[in-house]
Amino acid sequence: MKYLALALLFSTSLMAASPEVVQYMKELESVAKTENRTFNGFDAVRGKEIFTSTHTGKQGKPMACTSCHSLNLANPGKNSLTGKVIDPLSPRANPQRLTSAKEVKKWLKRNFMDVYAREGTAQEKGDVLTYIMKN
Amino acid sequence: MKTLLNLSVAALILAGGVYLYADDDHEEGEHHRSSVVAKPLSKQDQVSAALYKKECSSCHMAYQPSLLPKRSWDKTMNTLDNHFGTDATLDPSDHKTIQNYLASYASKNDRLVDMKGAVALRISETPYFVRKHREVTKKMVTQPQVKSFANCNACHTKAESGSYREREISIPNYGRWED
Repeated sequence: MKYLALALLFSTSLMAASPEVVQYMKELESVAKTENRTFNGFDAVRGKEIFTSTHTGKQGKPMACTSCHSLNLANPGKNSLTGKVIDPLSPRANPQRLTSAKEVKKWLKRNFMDVYAREGTAQEKGDVLTYIMKN
Repeated sequence: MKTLLNLSVAALILAGGVYLYADDDHEEGEHHRSSVVAKPLSKQDQVSAALYKKECSSCHMAYQPSLLPKRSWDKTMNTLDNHFGTDATLDPSDHKTIQNYLASYASKNDRLVDMKGAVALRISETPYFVRKHREVTKKMVTQPQVKSFANCNACHTKAESGSYREREISIPNYGRWED
């Protein structure tokens, strides 16, 4: 039992996400499979593109995730509207990240709306999370 | 005496009240307008207050509920999908908790008199706020260190704890406020 707990701890630290966030990603994966027949797993490269590209946001103005989060995920960002500092997104730089599935769901929904003016697909959300986990 | 005063300040802050000193403002009766809620928070309200603070202050200062009347907060909570241009939606349970908390501790005074029926979303739109900031120049507010009137704590150094006393004001690049 002890070893199981240790192994679990080790594997989650490798994955840079808590068990509940890993579980949420599994849910996203099964939805992605039904929405896209050619889906072959989440991809950090696609995630990076989603994260760094500019789109017409909710306000009808050019917007990217990096308008508020820094390009280097280990650095803090800054809310472009209020100026409030945003803690780093990288789970390595900020151990609080990707620990709560509730937080992850909330921010993915909000920020896809802000940047893409639509809620992201399961595949897009999984890709972005995969990108964040690897940085 | 000082401890007593501090204790009472702490109690007021806990209650989500806003602390204004009439003698600071040189205006009689200002403290009557601050709609301080003095009753101690119940366990449930403490949990709600913590949730409110956590959720709202991820993007901006968690403004004290007593800075706006209930109808302003209701309007804010009912339009979170487009909250000043951003999506600030919450899960249904948290949404309900926060809306109830704001309703309980909203200003009991109508802070929107003279607004011809309009319901302010911004605290800075309320007549009281406008009057209190009438001598503040545009430059002071739009400078990068302040950005807008939404950042109370840029100048009111204890705003986050609910204290807006004049002697605590320090405007970046301008210094203390001398009336």
